[in-house]
Amino acid sequence: MLEIKNLQASVEDKEILKGLNLEIKPGEVHAIMGPNGAGKSTLGYVLSGREGYEVTDGSATLGNDDLLDMEAEERARAGLFLAFQYPVEIPGVSNLEFMKAAVDAHMEARGEELMSSAEFLKAAKLACKQVNLPLEFLKRGVNEGFSGGEKKRNEIMQMLLLKPSLCILDESDSGLDIDALKVVAEGVNSQRDPKRSFIVVTHYQRLLDYIKPDYVHVLSDGKIVKSGDASLAKELEAEGYAWLEGYDVEEADA
Amino acid sequence: MSAYLANAIEQGQLVNDWLTPKRLGSMALLQQTSWPTRKTESWKYTSVRSLEKKTFERGTTNDEHAFSSIAGLDAIELVFVNGVLQQLPEGLPAGLSIASLENVPESTQVWAREQFNVAKPSQHLFGLVNDVLADNGVIVDVAEGVTIDTPIHLVNLVSENNETQQRVIVRVGQNAKVTMIEHNTGSVESLVNHVAEYFVEESAELELYRFSFRTEKALTVSGAHVQLAKKAKLNATIVGFGSELSRMDLDVLHRGENAFAKINAIYLLAKGEHFDLHSTIEHEIGHCVTDETVRGIVGEKATAVFNGRIHIHRDAQKTLAELNNKNLLLTDDAKINTKPELEIYADDVRCAHGATVAELDKSALYYMTSRGVSRDTALVMLNFGFINALVDEMPNAVLAEWLRPILKERFVKMNAEL
Ligand SMILES: Nc1ncnc2c1ncn2[C@@H]1O[C@H](COP(=O)(O)OP(=O)(O)O)[C@@H](O)[C@H]1O
Ligand SMILES: [Mg+2]
Repeated sequence: MLEIKNLQASVEDKEILKGLNLEIKPGEVHAIMGPNGAGKSTLGYVLSGREGYEVTDGSATLGNDDLLDMEAEERARAGLFLAFQYPVEIPGVSNLEFMKAAVDAHMEARGEELMSSAEFLKAAKLACKQVNLPLEFLKRGVNEGFSGGEKKRNEIMQMLLLKPSLCILDESDSGLDIDALKVVAEGVNSQRDPKRSFIVVTHYQRLLDYIKPDYVHVLSDGKIVKSGDASLAKELEAEGYAWLEGYDVEEADA
Repeated sequence: MSAYLANAIEQGQLVNDWLTPKRLGSMALLQQTSWPTRKTESWKYTSVRSLEKKTFERGTTNDEHAFSSIAGLDAIELVFVNGVLQQLPEGLPAGLSIASLENVPESTQVWAREQFNVAKPSQHLFGLVNDVLADNGVIVDVAEGVTIDTPIHLVNLVSENNETQQRVIVRVGQNAKVTMIEHNTGSVESLVNHVAEYFVEESAELELYRFSFRTEKALTVSGAHVQLAKKAKLNATIVGFGSELSRMDLDVLHRGENAFAKINAIYLLAKGEHFDLHSTIEHEIGHCVTDETVRGIVGEKATAVFNGRIHIHRDAQKTLAELNNKNLLLTDDAKINTKPELEIYADDVRCAHGATVAELDKSALYYMTSRGVSRDTALVMLNFGFINALVDEMPNAVLAEWLRPILKERFVKMNAEL
């Protein structure tokens, strides 16, 4: 499904990803953990095609598509979805209108007949209900004045509507209380499917109690320095990331 | 002196009615006024040349005009065709009275004459022309303590080669509330001079909408002049399209403490259009608030003029005034002349004033494309969102739902033609 090889990327000439390798098979859930500033969000931005994030070496393919050769919108239509760590507020563009345009673009790309406004509204209402967002949020400006938790749930709502094949959740749990966390996790779990894969970026092991990962990776200083199964997350929770100091990266790669 | 002005003065001398005592003063001023040129400060960026040599007919033809009221909006309709009020509405809610300017009861004449030109400053050239010529319009009176739920919707439809000189006077009594929608449309060669004065008395509220939708050869000069008494509230939304000549003068006078004015103005100018908004906020007294947001999208070869003056008088301590003008220029040859004018004579005030050319929000664009929306579609949505955010703020949701597609369609067309 997703294959990342030796990915190197920089922002404003600062090298952030320093040779990252990752392979994700259909249906798998991979958790990526790591200290602040490790490059976790950068990985999401690079994969989704954010301007200003320059890939200097390596490759990333999604299915048969060379992601790095595509525009951001093409990547999305090819099935990639990034739930933002900090969702953007867009006053004046309603959530509903935005999602209709997004879903239209996906369907058009697949050569399908577009949904009518009424059909779409029905789907959007359902998605809102699933993540406990009041329906009036569809009418409001995208993320405009939403609380932190509402923004995160709105991201999941969008994911439910777009039905991506690869979902990257960037700290979708941060700032959530336990109930909101469960809502987000249930939203994600409802989408687990043998054909759909997830990258769950998180700081805390807590989320992984609800979204069970197949693999856990530790990202540090732009590389994956350790990989393991779900038990690795527990270890990290207990030990923190201090052990990464002076960690011999070469050895980890081996 | 231009032919237009000479003719206006000549015509004005023939007018004799209940407003004549007030008209005389304006006539004297008008006779001393010269026709604006590019050197005239308040007309620096707007040319009146297209009007200079014109003469139009007034109130003579009563043509058929297609007019459809606002879908879903229950309103008290005042439809003027070439300055002729088609029908004076009947069965008005208790506490609301509306008189046609040509037929004003004596008791109304007394106060209306007294208020005439009290909110409108004398420096506006076409305001003076309106003073001496106005022959149609309405006097609206909302009694103390009454809330009128049904908006009053005034519409001007004008035939080719016609001119209308319209005057509106609105008094919102103490603790009363009313909504006024003033709506000018059309594109044929014609002139509308539409001047309204609003007196919002103590603790009263006025919700005001001004839609200046006259385009192409439909010349428009208009004034909205609002006086706010103690604790009075104004919530105004202005929407302008442009034409060969389209100018609006807005004056808000804070004349009682704790008055509050929220003003949102939008202009959306298609190819080659010109629109000029001159806004003046007078804080004559302390503890008042002004929150003015002006946003415009200027299309190919179009020109927007915005002059935003805030005058905080010496005694107006504790004033809170904010004025922000943002512009989005769709092409390199779109033009905005924006001039903030701040005059502050009191020392204990909070005042912010800014004019900028809007920059594209790159993170919003990325966010949208990351959902699969094409860059072009996202740009149109974002740019429209820039003015739509003010439509979202309109207190009347039905009106907002009516307006949104009108603006959207215009904007999409502007983009398609680029
Ligand atoms: N736009 C940017 N300009 C400069 N440096 C950046 C930018 N974005 C991220 N960085 C830097 O890249 C590094 C990785 O950031 P990020 O990917 O956000 O880390 P994480 O998500 O793991 O906390 C940090 O050192 C951060 O300061
Ligand atoms: Mg991050």
